[in-house]
Amino acid sequence: MAEERDVAELREKLARAAQLLLYKHHMQPGAKAWELKRALGRDYEQILNLLDAEFDKLGLQVKRVSEGEASSDSDRYYATLRGHPRVTEARTFGWRIDDMAMLTVALAHILSKQGKAPLKEVERMLEEKFPRWRIESTLDRFIRRGYLSEDDEGLLYVGWRARAEIDQRTLLGLLLGKEEKPSEAEAEPKVETTKVEEPQRD
Amino acid sequence: MPGERQELMLRIIDLCDTVRKRGIDPFDVEVREFFDRLRELLPNLKKHEELYLDIQAVLGLADVVFQQGEWIKHKSSMLYLDPLLIMLKLHALPTRELADVFARSWHPIVQLETLSPHGIAEAKQYWTNLPSLEERWRGLDTTEVFTGEIARRELARMGILSEEDFAAVLDRTWRELKEAAGERGEISYWDFIHTQSFEETVKRAWLVSFLVSYGYATLELKPLEEEILLRPLPKPRELERVATFSVPIAISRDEWLRRRKGG
Repeated sequence: MAEERDVAELREKLARAAQLLLYKHHMQPGAKAWELKRALGRDYEQILNLLDAEFDKLGLQVKRVSEGEASSDSDRYYATLRGHPRVTEARTFGWRIDDMAMLTVALAHILSKQGKAPLKEVERMLEEKFPRWRIESTLDRFIRRGYLSEDDEGLLYVGWRARAEIDQRTLLGLLLGKEEKPSEAEAEPKVETTKVEEPQRD
Repeated sequence: MPGERQELMLRIIDLCDTVRKRGIDPFDVEVREFFDRLRELLPNLKKHEELYLDIQAVLGLADVVFQQGEWIKHKSSMLYLDPLLIMLKLHALPTRELADVFARSWHPIVQLETLSPHGIAEAKQYWTNLPSLEERWRGLDTTEVFTGEIARRELARMGILSEEDFAAVLDRTWRELKEAAGERGEISYWDFIHTQSFEETVKRAWLVSFLVSYGYATLELKPLEEEILLRPLPKPRELERVATFSVPIAISRDEWLRRRKGG
């Protein structure tokens, strides 16, 4: 009897966790660690591991993005695609090939420069292949959507959405023609974690 | 010599700033050498300005040392790849391949939007309170009014038109100013415009601004004494030959009360 009650409770928590991660309830998608802890209890990480296993059946995954070395209550969890879309599929999501190429150039340049690069420098690089008017509007859109962020001094950083959605190591590896290694998440369902070292801002 | 000292310190500050803002290799900065130079300069620094520059230069170099630490951390991380190599690749790859690199490293966030019970309740309330389209489109009841005539005196009574001609008012104020300035030929601005009512004070200030603008009087500002002097001219001056500038003078009710109490 007690066991049945535990199973029902667990299912309820799983459903609650899925709702918190999937439904947008703030400006940003996903949920913060403290929100999940409050809704699911102290063992929220175990619930998320179980949810990740359930998501795996649907080609999704739970992803944690932390902003420092150690995990903290301000870490954010998202539901993302476990695999990656093809270019043709990405186009059906409303992305142009040019947009994808521009974001790749911007991100790769920022990452190779220790996580920050002047906006003007990125614009100059893009100007070799794209018209200026397209560059400005596209970079603006990337900033608005959270793929990039800009500070008062005109420096570009990797935005919150890029940290959640883009496997930075894979991106740089693919650029240099390296083989993509299968991630641990594909071998065994487990909440994927991305630790981001925030560049020093003034 | 002091110029050279300042130039060196400014150069160090600028260099450190460039490392921080442009992301250039912090190991390109000869930190030790610069610290040695600053140490040599320190006994000769006398002015506050020079000492301040010295502090800024030392802080800048300390920041470069911090950036060097971060640089080493980044280089030892799995994400480090030679920036030059990355740049070459970015230049060489065609747009389609760059897009393919993005797609293969992309795991888009899955996100759904839904109405919450609170949102539904708000929507219901909005729907209930919303007037029908017919009601909203109903025209406003208006009555056509034909143009008529109104007497000048009536307009003056309504405060739209002054009973006195503006030029005459200005002329009268000029004469008052000349009288108030007397033999000294000058009077304090505040003494001249100040009256028993705030409204009248503002009106006099407004008229004085025209007197000065049209060349009937001049203003002299004494910032140290915090005084403004008005000097009426015997004849209006041609302003084309004079260099003019605007002086904003704020008149608040508090200021008027303060001066009134102060006598």
